[in-house]
Amino acid sequence: MSEQIRTVRLPVMRRVLEANDDIAAATRVELARRHIFAIDLMGAPGSGKTALLEATLRALAGRRRAAVLVGDLATRRDGDRLARYCDRVVQISTGEGCHLEAAQVRDALAQLDLDGVDILFIENVGNLICPVGFDLGQAAKVGLFSLTEGDDKAAKHPYFVTAADLLLLNKIDLAPHLSFDRAGFETDVRLLNPSVPILDISATTGEGFDSWLAWLDNSAAAAST
Amino acid sequence: MLRVHEFSIAEGLAAQVLANAPAGAHVRDVEIRIGALRGLEPEALLMCWDSVTFGTPLAGATLQIDQRPWSIRCSQCGREWTSPVPFVSCQCGNATPVPSGGDELDLVAISIDEEET
Ligand SMILES: Nc1nc2c(ncn2[C@@H]2O[C@H](COP(=O)(O)OP(=O)(O)OP(=O)(O)O)[C@@H](O)[C@H]2O)c(=O)[nH]1
Ligand SMILES: [Mg+2]
Ligand SMILES: [Zn+2]
Repeated sequence: MSEQIRTVRLPVMRRVLEANDDIAAATRVELARRHIFAIDLMGAPGSGKTALLEATLRALAGRRRAAVLVGDLATRRDGDRLARYCDRVVQISTGEGCHLEAAQVRDALAQLDLDGVDILFIENVGNLICPVGFDLGQAAKVGLFSLTEGDDKAAKHPYFVTAADLLLLNKIDLAPHLSFDRAGFETDVRLLNPSVPILDISATTGEGFDSWLAWLDNSAAAAST
Repeated sequence: MLRVHEFSIAEGLAAQVLANAPAGAHVRDVEIRIGALRGLEPEALLMCWDSVTFGTPLAGATLQIDQRPWSIRCSQCGREWTSPVPFVSCQCGNATPVPSGGDELDLVAISIDEEET
């Protein structure tokens, strides 16, 4: 025997998603340079992400200039809905992808005129799990829950709760029709994330929008300095 | 079929392994560490790893997953322990001990075959 095989262990210790994180970091620098406040809006399918953005764009008209990236599996429907309220919308078709990745956001931003934009909304693919771990270069992650999903969704999706800079609880107008344990929901959130603000809102009636718009205004103002 | 995010992670992992292995080396084992917060399914990740590496130089490399548990702390009696799930009661009766978990997703090490003459 002239040859023997020996197995050698090489320590590496690097992040698995380093390539995505590097692209996101470059996007974050570029958006900060342009004084744009970017939000990664995450939430379950049908939680009301597009409805929230429609109502928000209406409310911001004339006060803040917004741009929107919207990830969708197979259709252009959300992009078309949002284009009625905003002239800077890019639809990202993720095909079979269950979440947006930093390279898709970077490429979509290259198609947008960002001059004068104050706030960038990124509607992620409807999903409580996959989008959370993929940095897009946003300044804030906003997590959208809704009453119709049930009060156990915070407990069932801990990473969604710990990663969020703001949690919105949508469809609050439906509270009289549902048995949503609002206090229990908040207990679960607080065990995971003691400090995240929770705002009860309705994208349909506009309830709670004062607080949501104030949060947006403060964040955009902070990014503009 | 919707692609699970374990698929994207397996793709990222394969790229990271190739970037850190000496050129042409035969990779035998890949060790990763996953924080409790990530909520990744080891079974799904193993399946995706096999499918991502199929027909590539990484085919056959074994994926060893170190899935970190949740740390649980009871604010009433001070007890601390680990658990595979975040929401558990304490033996003192407290129904709401505080869970905490990491969100690490790291390539820890690779093992390669080296020929000795
Ligand atoms: N009652 C009520 N209905 C709402 C509210 N917000 C959204 N909806 C309804 O919920 C449904 C889903 O809303 P979308 O905005 O399409 O939800 P989405 O999160 O964008 O869904 P995907 O993009 O498919 O993941 C629509 O029928 C909306 O009219 C709300 O505050 N109250
Ligand atoms: Mg939508
Ligand atoms: Zn206890």
